[in-house]
Amino acid sequence: MNAFSAHYFDGITSRMHAVTVSRDGAGSVRVSGDGIERLAPAADLRLSPRLGRTPRTIAFTDGARLLVSDHPLLDDWFPSEDRLLRLVDRLERHAHAVAASIALCVAALVAAVVWGIPWAADRIAGQVPLAVEAKLGEGVLGQLDQYFGFEPSTLAAEREAELRSRFARVVAAAAMADTHRLEFRSAEEIGANALALPGGTIVVTDQLVDVLSDDRAFDAIVAHELGHQRHRHALRQTLRSSFVIVLAAFFAGDVSAASSVVVGVPTFLLQSHYSRGFEEESDRHAFDTLEAMGESPAWFAEAMRGLNEAHEDYGEEVKYLSTHPTGAERIAAAEAAGAAFLERHPEKFREVPGYDACEDEGICEDDEYEDEDEDCDDCAEAEVDCADDGVDAEPGDCPIET
Amino acid sequence: MHEDVIGAPAPPPLPPAAGDAQHWWPAPSPPPAPLVEHRFSFHGDAREYFRIWIVNLALGILTLGIYSAWAKVRTQRYFHGNTRLAGVPFEFLAKPWPILKGRLIAVTLFVAYVLASQFSLAWQFALIGVVLLATPWLLVRGLAFRARYSAWRGLVFRFIPDYGEAYIRYLLLLIPTVLTLGMLYPWVQGQQKRFIVEHHRYGGHGFRFLVSSGRFYIPYLIAWGVMTALIFVFFFAVAALAAASALSGKGNGTPPVWIMMTIVGGFYAGYFVIFVFLQAALLNLVYNHVDIGGRRLRSTLKGHRLLAIYALNTLAVLASAGLLIPWAKIRLARYRAESLSLLAADDLEGLVAERAGEIDATAAEVDGLFDIDIGL
Repeated sequence: MNAFSAHYFDGITSRMHAVTVSRDGAGSVRVSGDGIERLAPAADLRLSPRLGRTPRTIAFTDGARLLVSDHPLLDDWFPSEDRLLRLVDRLERHAHAVAASIALCVAALVAAVVWGIPWAADRIAGQVPLAVEAKLGEGVLGQLDQYFGFEPSTLAAEREAELRSRFARVVAAAAMADTHRLEFRSAEEIGANALALPGGTIVVTDQLVDVLSDDRAFDAIVAHELGHQRHRHALRQTLRSSFVIVLAAFFAGDVSAASSVVVGVPTFLLQSHYSRGFEEESDRHAFDTLEAMGESPAWFAEAMRGLNEAHEDYGEEVKYLSTHPTGAERIAAAEAAGAAFLERHPEKFREVPGYDACEDEGICEDDEYEDEDEDCDDCAEAEVDCADDGVDAEPGDCPIET
Repeated sequence: MHEDVIGAPAPPPLPPAAGDAQHWWPAPSPPPAPLVEHRFSFHGDAREYFRIWIVNLALGILTLGIYSAWAKVRTQRYFHGNTRLAGVPFEFLAKPWPILKGRLIAVTLFVAYVLASQFSLAWQFALIGVVLLATPWLLVRGLAFRARYSAWRGLVFRFIPDYGEAYIRYLLLLIPTVLTLGMLYPWVQGQQKRFIVEHHRYGGHGFRFLVSSGRFYIPYLIAWGVMTALIFVFFFAVAALAAASALSGKGNGTPPVWIMMTIVGGFYAGYFVIFVFLQAALLNLVYNHVDIGGRRLRSTLKGHRLLAIYALNTLAVLASAGLLIPWAKIRLARYRAESLSLLAADDLEGLVAERAGEIDATAAEVDGLFDIDIGL
């Protein structure tokens, strides 16, 4: 077969001519039929690259063109110099090349998410001057005060001073610059919480101070927040989220108007994945700082339990929105760190949460009492009274804790 | 063995007395020529396009993005070449180099922005200002590029650049839009669509846009109204739930989380539905009022069909980690082509090339330095 049918357009009008294309021996191409009779050297014609089963065009130098369906003869007659596109066409038709492409793209996507984005975001975060970050943080605190119902703290001045001095000790134990500021706020809506703002400020809510059973739990919380500060998590999180959006937009392209959903869901999932990593890093920072202060990391577990209980009182949706999802694993990790601490410092066994003199050492108040005065049978009862309502019993009846 | 390119059957005649069609037709020439509906159709295949897409993506990754310009040409050629009007495919004629140039400029701007954000806020805002100021210009360049390299029946489209108008409609009109709290937005949208349509040319005819910008208020007002109702229902549901759980006095006075999540999810779903219906209405409004030398486009997009396509596309893309993106794009392109047709009294054989008709002084510049394609 030495001819094929095609449709010819002269490039001047939209008139379509059904023609036959044939080739003579001298390398010329003849187009004839439907009022067209045209001869041109094959070397002057340009064939569009092969692309699936898409119709192809053969362009004349004067703008006229032939429209043909893909045909094996075409590439013989009009060999293309474009080796790149010939290669691409072969790859697209080759099952192994397609499989390799899928593997490469999936691997690249996974690598970008697991290593690429954190790496790039952290490198850039390292370049951001602290002054810029501090500016950002000021803006955030202003917004919290304005829109999230943050009120000035109602803590008593002595109590605040006490906590501030504890904070200074935690900062010193963590060997961090004393540029870190501590802010107290009353936040009824958000409840018990602490936040690390970009630029070094830590915000603690009055509600958090109220729920912590022990000041060492407060140390644990601020040590955790200082971990966020040391590793600049707020800034890194912001940068990572922006990179995730860029990446997702690149892959999703112009799929649909739904692309906001297509971009939004992976962004959300990855963000929570990244922030879980940051929480763990800050937890470890809290354990190390507590240890440096000679306090047990188990105080962090105690603080988390306090927060959990407080948020159950507040209602579940608050727990959902909380920036510190309190997982059982994090409490377990703190407990484990506390146990290791106790092994290294057995003398500190009285200074861990849940220490019970009676159970742990056999120094029970009842026994103590009986040792001193065996006749006093009623005393145990009196003690119960004291614990229950403390009103009926006379002050003198109650055993005084030492 | 040879299969004809123009294998599509002869376009079916328009059903007689199609109500609307007569209404659209402003005073037909004396002997009323019978209108013919020339259909658009899409012949792409998801499996075939998947191979093209994945190889493009892989080569783009291997060449650190340089290949993306070639990939874009291949993708555009695929979608143009598989879209046919009256059985004849469109063509995309651009070369990769101008696209690569456009992308390099865009990437440079982005990197400059990221760098500037590290050094000073002033520089960052200056760059945002530059991009904002350049947007209308870039838009015009992009439209001109796409028109010039799109062809049908051997004739290319044209977009006549008018930068002054572009700055008025895409930048200056933003000010009154903001001042009126968005109430002017539908009208501005209409003005922008009119700008895009009326500066296009094909086959010796300038496109005309036969609808006033005020008409854009109808779909927007409906969408805003439904949106307001949705917000009302949302707050009512939350309030009712809170009251119910307070009355029951059970637990700690807050409703279960899953109910809250369902309500929030329902709200977003409602927003999505409104958005898609609005989009269908706007596309129909624009296409149905485009006149090309007495020929009219007819778009019959249905909101619910579009919604079904978008919803399934979104689920498929998410569930396949993106691997079904080609399938999603093909489905959308097919529906959009099938919903579009051209009503004409002629057989479309008598159109003439732009250069044979009016030659615009600016025609020479398109091959110049600024022949770039924007839009990543």
